[in-house]
Amino acid sequence: MTFLAEAAGISKCFGGVVAVDSVDLVIDEREVVGLIGANGAGKTTFIRLLLGLLRPSAGTVRLFGAPPSTATRRRVGYVPQSLGMYADLTVGENWRFASAAFGGRCGPMPDGVAVREASLVGSLPLGDKRLVAFAIALAHSPELLILDEPTSGVGPLGRARLWEEIRETTDRGVGVLVTTHNLEEAEQCDRLVIMADGRAVLSGTAAEIVGDHKVIEVRCRNWSKALAVLERSGFAVQLHAEVLRVVGPVSAVAGSLSEGNLDARVEVVTANLEETFVALVGNR
Amino acid sequence: MWAMVAKEFRQLRRDHRTLAMMIALPILLLVVFGYAANFDVHNIPTVVVGPGARASASLLRAPFHVVEVDRAGNQSTAEACLRDGKAVVGLVTGDHGITVFIDGTQLFSAQTAESALAKARVSEEAAGLASLPVRVRVLFNPRLTTSWIMVPGLAGLILVFVGTLITSLGVVRERQAGTLEQLAVMPFRAWDVIAGKIAPYLIVALIDLIVILLIGMGIFHVPFRGNIAVFALGAALFLLVTLGLGVLISTVSQNQGQAIQLAIMSLLPQVLLSGFIFPVSSMAAGVRWISYVLPLTYFVEISRGVMLKATPISSLWGPIGLLALLGAAVFGLAIARFRRDLAPSTRVPQ
Amino acid sequence: MRWGLEGVSVHFGRKVALDEVTVPVDASGITVVIGGDGAGKSTVLRTLVGLVRPDSGVVSRPPKRATGYLPATAGLYADLTVDENCKFSASAYGLRGADCERRKNELLEQVGLNAASDRLGGQLSGGMQRKAAVVIALLHSPELLVLDEPTTGVDPVSRSELWRLISGVAAQGTSVVLATTYVNEAARANSAVLLEAGKVLAAGSPEAILRSVTGAFGSAVGGSRPTPQSWRRGAGWRIWAPSGVLPEGVTPLQPDFEDAVVVAELVGEAR
Repeated sequence: MTFLAEAAGISKCFGGVVAVDSVDLVIDEREVVGLIGANGAGKTTFIRLLLGLLRPSAGTVRLFGAPPSTATRRRVGYVPQSLGMYADLTVGENWRFASAAFGGRCGPMPDGVAVREASLVGSLPLGDKRLVAFAIALAHSPELLILDEPTSGVGPLGRARLWEEIRETTDRGVGVLVTTHNLEEAEQCDRLVIMADGRAVLSGTAAEIVGDHKVIEVRCRNWSKALAVLERSGFAVQLHAEVLRVVGPVSAVAGSLSEGNLDARVEVVTANLEETFVALVGNR
Repeated sequence: MWAMVAKEFRQLRRDHRTLAMMIALPILLLVVFGYAANFDVHNIPTVVVGPGARASASLLRAPFHVVEVDRAGNQSTAEACLRDGKAVVGLVTGDHGITVFIDGTQLFSAQTAESALAKARVSEEAAGLASLPVRVRVLFNPRLTTSWIMVPGLAGLILVFVGTLITSLGVVRERQAGTLEQLAVMPFRAWDVIAGKIAPYLIVALIDLIVILLIGMGIFHVPFRGNIAVFALGAALFLLVTLGLGVLISTVSQNQGQAIQLAIMSLLPQVLLSGFIFPVSSMAAGVRWISYVLPLTYFVEISRGVMLKATPISSLWGPIGLLALLGAAVFGLAIARFRRDLAPSTRVPQ
Repeated sequence: MRWGLEGVSVHFGRKVALDEVTVPVDASGITVVIGGDGAGKSTVLRTLVGLVRPDSGVVSRPPKRATGYLPATAGLYADLTVDENCKFSASAYGLRGADCERRKNELLEQVGLNAASDRLGGQLSGGMQRKAAVVIALLHSPELLVLDEPTTGVDPVSRSELWRLISGVAAQGTSVVLATTYVNEAARANSAVLLEAGKVLAAGSPEAILRSVTGAFGSAVGGSRPTPQSWRRGAGWRIWAPSGVLPEGVTPLQPDFEDAVVVAELVGEAR
């Protein structure tokens, strides 16, 4: 079975620096894979390896079952974070330029784009810009889509609308790779791969990644004092409205609170994706 | 490939500043090198003094153009006229012959005058006419050394360069980085920000000025004969104009690229049309008015006058007054616009 | 309400940036302004700190010396080191001496930047830049801290550290106002204001906003959109039935804060 994209044990070294270290990743049709990592984790280098813009120092990359080439790159659509459009050209002019670049093999403009054809891209609000960039990337009917921070800066409803577009393409059989810093976005993906220091440290669905990770939820009327007491005892405390979430053994947390003469309810709960991420990847 | 070409043209069409530069620059260069860049001198203002003034004046032909005949005047009168820039050649008649004084700071006029006089003598001798003894003396710059003319102008050029170009870049950098907003929220008064931003460039400009002058005086032996205070006043007022222009450019530019474009467009005419290289008097009349609106023209006049001719302030009120007016206007406008950026606004953040 | 905006309207030329917006800011705790791009979040914050003068309404704020502000774009000078940036801010606010130095070191240590104090601002990663910028805004112990999208584009670990820093100062009595596009950040606020196209769609504590949602909620799977009031979440759909009756094949469930925000936006759009 041929995956749309397959990376097997790929590594890349620049001089003495290992940017990507033995990463395995597959992207299949009809799925959305989220690639998350802190800065410097190697996400951008990995994407360039996948697209064939860089040659791996070790391992193999396959796009549609073959090594990356100009032919296979025509079957890939890419939207960078900066959207890759010219702000001083109109939507129509950007569309035609992209068509020409891909050899004129583009269908007619979709309604969503045509209605804004004469507007300068630079004058559009961000949500509209992202929709247009997305449409342009799809113009040449790619089978694999790579999206870099697709909804950064967009509000909740706008984000849902963008994801509707993304899901529409996966329903048609396209495979999508999304890179993001935003764990809220990550929860929209079918599968996640977490990179740190060039390695893929975790993969699976969000639920699988969180697994058994737990945090201690502390509810206390005097939450500000509780926070101060716990921080001073060396715990990492996150504040959510007036509820504290603490990483550490429940007995130690409870002990610290009672030492501070605080009356608090302490409960062990499942960690969220962000807390799991920080616990596994933070402070490297 | 054609897609790239078409796209570039479309983008260029919308980039008004670059378009303006593309059109304005060739026009400027055409005007300059067609009409303004002229080393030929056809008109040398001349004063004739002394007892035989009228007679001698009637004998003078082009390129000499007699602007004043003063029978009561003498050598000092003639020298004063040259010092004040009223004339380039002073003919002093007397019992012991004629002495012609030439203003050596007007390089090309002086050369033309010298060769005209030499030619006249040759033709007189050829015609067998006896001539009165004529002595020619070049004042202020006896050997007609080019560097002596250039260094005072260069001083002005440095002030334009640092004052306008460098300052505009430095101030616009704040706007480009987005930190200008933060300054507005900090407990600074608007004046703290403005003065604080401009002061370093002012200091650098002054240091550069002093270095240029020292080099000029030390290596090229350019003299500094006049009153330092007058020179300082002229420089200060000129700096007011150039710094003001630099700040003004930064208030209409969003980034350093735009600032450079505007700064260069204001610098280039000044370099070419201020009399720094091509003498103003040789410019075609239709173009000469441009140099009268350029601040550098007046500073060059002050700078050359003070350094080479020891021109007193009483003869320089014109250029000094104009620089003061221009400085107040430009600097005032610049500060007003800059304050607006620091005050609560009703404009969309840019 | 100690500080904030009350009935504020702002026009930029003909464009209405804010329309009768009220954002109450208590003396302590975290207030979050949430909305999409162009909703007016930055304008609210800039009006609060005095960069924008409103056409109508009342703005209350502490004096400049007691305010800290971080704009969406910058925060520190790229060509100065972190240390030099701190020094500039400190001297602007009149801080001097050993106390200032100590506070700076404490704050930098809290966000793990003490080793980076000699690095140029431009050499830091996005997350580190934001952390450093928040530290700089906190040096003078302001009463009101205003942050414009402090975590947009920031990696998850830095985001977590930033929130720890912000929560810490909020617990110590600083009032924090922050603008964000992330719903899960608004859920962590003591008080939230949802903006869209310059208007307030919802306001109050996250619980209150959640409780104010009427109608029925459900989820569904499948390729096509179940009803006009549906939106994508993960691989499935969320459906909101304002009438209280869910269509066939839809599994009912309890809405969460994100649902409440989307509903408020849908309602706002319909108007």
